[in-house]
Amino acid sequence: MGPLTFITFLPAVGAVIIACLPRNNHKLIQYTALFFAAVVMIIAFSLYPQFDKGAVGINDPNSFQFVEKASWIEMFHVDYFVGVDGLSFPMILLTALLSFLCIPASFGIKKGVKGYFALFLLLETGMLGTFVALDFFLFYVFWEVMLLPMYFLIGIWGGPRRVYAAIKFFIYTLIGSVLMLIVMLVFYFNISDPITGTHTFNMLHMMNSSNHSGIMLVNSFKVLLFFGLYIGFAIKIPAFPFHTWLPDAHVEAPTAVSVILAGVLLKMGTYGLLRITYPILPETTKEFAWFIALIGVINIIYGAFCAMAQKDLKKLVAYSSISHMGFVMLAMASFTPAGMNGAVLQMFNHGTITAMLFLLVGVIYDRAHHRQIDGFGGIANVMPRYLGVTALAFFASLGLPGLSGFISEIMCFIGAFSEWRTFTIIAIGGIIITAAYLLWTLQRIFFGETNPKYETITDINGRELFTLLPLAAIVLVLGVYPHLVLGLMNSSMTYLGQLIQTTVAL
Amino acid sequence: MNPITLNVNLVPLIPELTLIGGLLVLLVIDLIVRWQRGVTLAVGGSILLVVIAVITLSGDNNVGSYLFGAVVQDGVTSFFRLFFVLATIISIGILVFSFPKSGEPFLLILSGVLGMFLLAGSNDLVTLFVALELVSIPSYVLAGYRKNDSRSGEAALKYVLFGALSSGLMLYGFSLLYGLTGATNLPAMAQKLASLPNGSSMAHLAGLILVLAGIGYKIAMVPFHFWCPDVYEGSPTPVTAFFSVVPKAAGIAALIRLMPVFNTLEPIYGVTSVGLITLASAVTMTFGNLGAIWQDSLKRLLAYSSIAHAGYILMGFAVMAAFPHGEIHTFALQAILFYLVVYLFMNLGAFLIIDMVERKLGGDGIHLFKGLGKSSPLVALAFAVLLFSLIGLPPLAGFIGKFYLFAALVKGKLWGLAMIGIANSVVAMFYYVRIIRDMFLHDPDEDAAPVTVNFGKLSAVLALVTVVPTLILGVWWGPLAEWIKSMV
Repeated sequence: MGPLTFITFLPAVGAVIIACLPRNNHKLIQYTALFFAAVVMIIAFSLYPQFDKGAVGINDPNSFQFVEKASWIEMFHVDYFVGVDGLSFPMILLTALLSFLCIPASFGIKKGVKGYFALFLLLETGMLGTFVALDFFLFYVFWEVMLLPMYFLIGIWGGPRRVYAAIKFFIYTLIGSVLMLIVMLVFYFNISDPITGTHTFNMLHMMNSSNHSGIMLVNSFKVLLFFGLYIGFAIKIPAFPFHTWLPDAHVEAPTAVSVILAGVLLKMGTYGLLRITYPILPETTKEFAWFIALIGVINIIYGAFCAMAQKDLKKLVAYSSISHMGFVMLAMASFTPAGMNGAVLQMFNHGTITAMLFLLVGVIYDRAHHRQIDGFGGIANVMPRYLGVTALAFFASLGLPGLSGFISEIMCFIGAFSEWRTFTIIAIGGIIITAAYLLWTLQRIFFGETNPKYETITDINGRELFTLLPLAAIVLVLGVYPHLVLGLMNSSMTYLGQLIQTTVAL
Repeated sequence: MNPITLNVNLVPLIPELTLIGGLLVLLVIDLIVRWQRGVTLAVGGSILLVVIAVITLSGDNNVGSYLFGAVVQDGVTSFFRLFFVLATIISIGILVFSFPKSGEPFLLILSGVLGMFLLAGSNDLVTLFVALELVSIPSYVLAGYRKNDSRSGEAALKYVLFGALSSGLMLYGFSLLYGLTGATNLPAMAQKLASLPNGSSMAHLAGLILVLAGIGYKIAMVPFHFWCPDVYEGSPTPVTAFFSVVPKAAGIAALIRLMPVFNTLEPIYGVTSVGLITLASAVTMTFGNLGAIWQDSLKRLLAYSSIAHAGYILMGFAVMAAFPHGEIHTFALQAILFYLVVYLFMNLGAFLIIDMVERKLGGDGIHLFKGLGKSSPLVALAFAVLLFSLIGLPPLAGFIGKFYLFAALVKGKLWGLAMIGIANSVVAMFYYVRIIRDMFLHDPDEDAAPVTVNFGKLSAVLALVTVVPTLILGVWWGPLAEWIKSMV
């Protein structure tokens, strides 16, 4: 068993063990979950030095790393095929890190502790599995495995409108995945394994257009397939106009679930586009690059304006996520090296920054039991340390130079500018709106007269700092030395960009 | 006058003959035993069925048609025999809770199974019809078995009336087809229908539609499904569990046997056999799913859901009709059989849980399931697994079943039906998730007494027998798929 299988299924093993622990021993359950998440994180990060940064991956079977391949269902040509390249490895690190940090962030949960942590670990298995899978069937199974824990985590442990939010999340995601299912089957029946000549779910075979046959050669059909996949992934990103589930889900979800949702699950959408749509349908992707860029710009501007209008702090952060995922879409539609790298770096950075933001919202909510931006005021006087961390996260989010968000956003814009000049110019306006709503929010919450209600409120505590400081460190370090992550992805993403650029659009 | 030599080979009928013999023995036992008759007969019946399964497994090499072509013995026959054995044993297990002291339900079920055995191998219109009636008549009695319950009586009456009507329709269809060909043997009939001098006629089309109506009644195909929710609701729950799986599978078996006849239809007035079945499939699943959304009784809800599942299975038949021969045809048949196996486990499991809750809480209203996740976590968890499987979510068996059916559609390029199926999968999620939501996301009604539903020994075994395959077939279905492939 290789390291990827180990980290993917270890959380599931942890979930089963937790399910067998005594119901009332909360400490034992919490620390068991922490242990498993910690082991996964340590193993994931221990792969970092071994990871060959020069290996390309993407569509080259020989340069994927930590590959494991075994026949799963021979009759249907389904393989258990996992491996990582420069696109998936940063996502694995992000997932392992955020999952670990979310466990202590959930120690405040008092209701159904056992179920909560078991589901949380199950969710981690689904997320890691999705990022390592190189077989489309396996990918789909893991993709769906994420759905159920998320539904219950929002639906049982969420806020007052949790049932509505959970079902909305469920419906949106399910619609996306059934479309993906059909596309997957079309791929299966019209793409053959070059060696055996049989149908195949192997993504790498799918990426080789000489294996395509039948309707996979019909251009108009490819457009349908492209949009089938696009909708499936766009719902996860979430791209306009499929984004409406996100604010609801975030507002109702408990803090740690919001962190995972924004930090990892949204990345699944853009990851899916880059991993599956781009290399399998390169001509169609090139043809409709303008569409991805356009939706990206809409996400940026629309998300930012919506964020500005919010009264609820968590909803504001949720809309800011929509806005920031727009940068990823705009940049990945450019296919330039800067754009492709910037997109994945932005995925990583947004994962860490938005995780901080949601954790910070959780901190204040645990104390004040509301999230109304106008309901605070002058908190800076009573919570100086909280102000420090929040300011760091806000500045990183609005792209202050020296922090990680700046690097990825500037890369996104540099990359996109050469291809989509008008779009990029409009999108840069989004930065200004972002700065406006974040600074305005900072001002309303922290400055001015101290709200007498909150004069006795306690500052951020050790456990909360434990979850926030590693993220803050990453934000600072990647702000001055982004190569730590950029180096991992550079060869893969540059190659993927070239792959699309050198194909002829439909 | 020529001497008539009756050279009848009864070897392939040994399973049926064993069942008849065993039934007679059980009848006698029922007369002798005074104590716990139901339990005794359940045990006896299960042993009998296991013996038959062993005989079936060991007699696979008698492939061919027998009794002057009236009965055919092939992999499909064996598959259905084993299927009926397994489903009936589980149904008998569920039935024991409600009828520990009476023997009749068990005898009735077993005589129904005899009919299904014949149906699975029937190769002749006469055998087919007799077998279908042999399935139906014990079912009518079973539906009305709770003599003091007026709903049970109503269910039985509706079942009989609709049954009689559909038998009449089907017989009329048979007579038309017989009139066109002069044959009752199915392969011979198919051959003659295909080589009719003037192509397909109105009588041909009408005959087929009437036959489809008769089968449609058995599998609860829209618009011949009206009996289904009422009968399912009124019948004792364990009987409903049996109805929802076993006679339905028998109808599927009959339709498989009739497919060569359906495939003879040449387009007439723009109607093709593919078109007919596609329409039936689309309407059935859509109506079943939309109907299920509004139900508050879980038995009715599952009745509509079983209508929808019949629609999914019909998707496979649409592919079979579109490709009368060859690889895609076989693939669709495999998909149908695979789906049936999966459906067996998840549906019987779901009814097992409903029966347990009903016996404890005295009803099957959806509100009774509120807070079940808190009061009886294990039962609720098992139910949730089965329901998620019914939705068709990976990594559960229901997903693989649907996956095969959709794969057949995509392989056969029936895009329109595939899209309708996809839309239905989403709609279906609403009502299944509603139950899960009530179990886990809601607290129990305030005025309801806190009751926990626990597994007993037998119910735990039955739950394991249904839930474990639902889980395992979701990740390791290769052996089952291989086996089904070897059978068709």
